[in-house]
Amino acid sequence: MIVFNLWAVLQWYLRPFIKWFLRKTTRLCELQRICYGDKPGTSRTCNVEKSLMLSRTRDVKEIICYLDGIVQERRFVPQNFADIIEPSINIIMRVKKINPKLHGSFILSFRRCLQQIWSYKSLIENIEELRRTQFDSNNIQHEEKLLKLWDLLVPDEPLESRVTKQWQHIGFQGDDPKTDFRGMGLLGLENLLFFATEYSQVSRHVFSHSLHPRYGYVFAIVGINLTSMAYYLLKDGSAKTFMFNARQYLPSVNLFHRFYCYLFYEFDKMWIESKPQDIMEFSIIFKKFENAIRMELADPATVFRINIEVDTV
Amino acid sequence: MGLLSILKKLRSNPDKELRLLLLGLDNAGKTTLLKQLASEDVNHVTPTAGFNIKSVLSSGFKLNVWDIGGQRKIRPYWRNYFENTDILIYVVDCSDHQRLEETSLELAELLQDEKLRGVALLVYANKQDLATGKLSCSLLVVHIQDIQTHSLAPA
Repeated sequence: MIVFNLWAVLQWYLRPFIKWFLRKTTRLCELQRICYGDKPGTSRTCNVEKSLMLSRTRDVKEIICYLDGIVQERRFVPQNFADIIEPSINIIMRVKKINPKLHGSFILSFRRCLQQIWSYKSLIENIEELRRTQFDSNNIQHEEKLLKLWDLLVPDEPLESRVTKQWQHIGFQGDDPKTDFRGMGLLGLENLLFFATEYSQVSRHVFSHSLHPRYGYVFAIVGINLTSMAYYLLKDGSAKTFMFNARQYLPSVNLFHRFYCYLFYEFDKMWIESKPQDIMEFSIIFKKFENAIRMELADPATVFRINIEVDTV
Repeated sequence: MGLLSILKKLRSNPDKELRLLLLGLDNAGKTTLLKQLASEDVNHVTPTAGFNIKSVLSSGFKLNVWDIGGQRKIRPYWRNYFENTDILIYVVDCSDHQRLEETSLELAELLQDEKLRGVALLVYANKQDLATGKLSCSLLVVHIQDIQTHSLAPA
């Protein structure tokens, strides 16, 4: 512990000297070295973030505060990027004395990093809001979403009434799903609905596994527990690997949903492969699953593909 | 609080770990109670598929708390967790009027089980602070008295 603290203190004092030395020898600032040296995606973006957060330059600190403020105001959306990010990049270029004519590719990759870093922060706010919104059976939109989920999963069998035992068929606990969302609020329902809508084939395939006479499980309840897992992975930053390595997308609510779908598909696979004796093994297998996912996310090189193949057997 | 006095009575050996079993219908608040005992955040609770277990140090007692899911599909597995239980905490959602009868029937069934003979029982009337919770708390007492007269009440 003491050794570790000592090292942290040393690093704090040594960092400027190391940076100065590297700057003189490579004639590049730290941000440039990261953008040119690190692979695009998680490792580059995370290192840029670390470098910015550790910076003691006044202008850099101000930019961080400014961008954080934009996130709080919920204005960090792609339409505003030109107005928000470009001035920030210009200030950093000036402060770090980077010649824009010589370092065009730096601008490109640095811009992408800024977009990713603050989109992720913005995503946390949006997801938190969805989670805090309680499922409300007096809200028509909430009710419609719930009914749509049923139609997507069990298209051949209409619901007999709003409160019915049928809900247990898709893995809710009782006759009315409204009390099952609990701490995950509307986010739990939105996640399930996205899975059933955007990956209709896969979700029905996974759902059919949940009805297996021997290895069946409670689909919706497991889904809500996976929402909780995805939420914690997002909050503690572990989900950055998934989000920053997604080349075509920036962190967004939809990308979070995709992350959830990936988790659901993978969990189902692990569950079936584990051949559990009964549902009481859920806690153990779920913990094992979380550890496996955390291992994957710990490696910044991991690229997650969601082109899930469904066997037709 | 009643729980502490039961704990004191049960602790013949100061190093002995006590096994607490939390049962009750789904949405009664078992997991919230477990997290509260472990001083964890209670705002992010999800329905329990299977069970949760935590070792808690509370007022000098080492407690192994088992929280078993309460949905109908899981209730048949409750009895797998009866063995070596010292205290059974039966959690009731007082605001759930419609299932008051269901919950007392489940409790009556538990009390008839051989394996739970001699186990201290605490019925935890949860959610009394909700507007709809007060009335059924007194109803619950009636139901439980009913159980006691009709079946054997151990301990």
